Amino acid sequence: MDEVYDSIIIGMGAAGLAASLYSGRYKMRVLVVGKEFGGETAWAGTIHNYPGVKDINGYDLMKIMKEQASELGVSFKEGEVTSVGRDESGCFKVTVGETEYASATIIFAHGTQRRRLGIPNEKELTGKGVHFCVTCDGPIYGGKVIAIVGGGDASVKGANLAAEYASKIYLVTINKEVSAEPINREEMERRGEKIEIITENTVAEIVGTSKLEKIILKDEYKGTRDLLVEGLFVEIGASPDAALATPLGVALDEKNYISVDNMMRTNVPGIFAAGDIVNHFGSFKQDITAAAMGAVAATSAYEYKKINGDVCGLHYVTSAAVTGVTS
Amino acid sequence: MEHKIKIYTTPTCTYCRMTKEFLDGHSIPYDAIDVTKDATARNEMIERSGQMGVPVIDIDGELTVGFNKERLIEKLGITE
Repeated sequence: MDEVYDSIIIGMGAAGLAASLYSGRYKMRVLVVGKEFGGETAWAGTIHNYPGVKDINGYDLMKIMKEQASELGVSFKEGEVTSVGRDESGCFKVTVGETEYASATIIFAHGTQRRRLGIPNEKELTGKGVHFCVTCDGPIYGGKVIAIVGGGDASVKGANLAAEYASKIYLVTINKEVSAEPINREEMERRGEKIEIITENTVAEIVGTSKLEKIILKDEYKGTRDLLVEGLFVEIGASPDAALATPLGVALDEKNYISVDNMMRTNVPGIFAAGDIVNHFGSFKQDITAAAMGAVAATSAYEYKKINGDVCGLHYVTSAAVTGVTS
Repeated sequence: MEHKIKIYTTPTCTYCRMTKEFLDGHSIPYDAIDVTKDATARNEMIERSGQMGVPVIDIDGELTVGFNKERLIEKLGITE
């Protein structure tokens, strides 16, 4: 028997969890499904700028959001969504493993995929000097020299965290300067020479056999392209993956983010999107914007459901009658 | 059967917390070692696992790198 919901939210980060909280308050039957709990926020370290909450670990913030939604009866399922289809009555079918769930509306909130450098040895030496999470593995490099490639806010926050442990951090950015919140940039500058910024450059080669031995920069820096580091952290942003949405006819923008209007409606009735999978606020991707988009998407899904009724209802009644279950 | 479990962790590692919370949720005891405060344990973890990512979970002498719920369920015979 299909489990039938008013709304299935795909993604368990700030956008998905905020959407689930609002959907729960609208008394909708809601399932949140995602590969991994917490999204990017869970790995962001300390969040200093979520209004109403003083400094809080990102993972803890996500746990609170989940708790708020759970108390309203929202269901959660950890797993990878492999496909989303729609039958002739307009009811969506979401496949997770071998189970199919039915829903009147869908909210895509599954974020982005972290980018890789895409050069030899990046995969082979992952965990052996090459890492993708400063928050997780940065502290391992106590007293060591490391490099972080990427010049955004996440890289600067990562460098500030790593500076608590490492003896020296090279921050390598392809841009003319790092781009970070002024407060994070100031904190970095207070570290002095411990964090050294290499601009308009990137990592061309990763060298090592059983572990990272050095990286080779694209262009010379201080007379050499070699940079002797024991750890390399890749923080070069993320790309949207809308492969689940496009078979349903959902339109993407020129950067492959899901296109939405101001109410987080896609071009396909009944489908909404929120968080990093859309480019609604451009490169300004924050917990507050993700949560706001989730709340709006939930509101739009609720309004849609009110107008269009229970398009999956027939399945629900039939299944319950067959099995003798009273709902 | 009670298993002997040791988790090599860092203070800021989310997967380490997920691992510990999963075990706590099943009332399974473990020892957690913060490798940023114990250089011997850090070197031991790197030498034994051949890598520098955390968490590393030692169950009865066998290592698992990273938080892998399915693997923990299988190794520890957990029924959910």
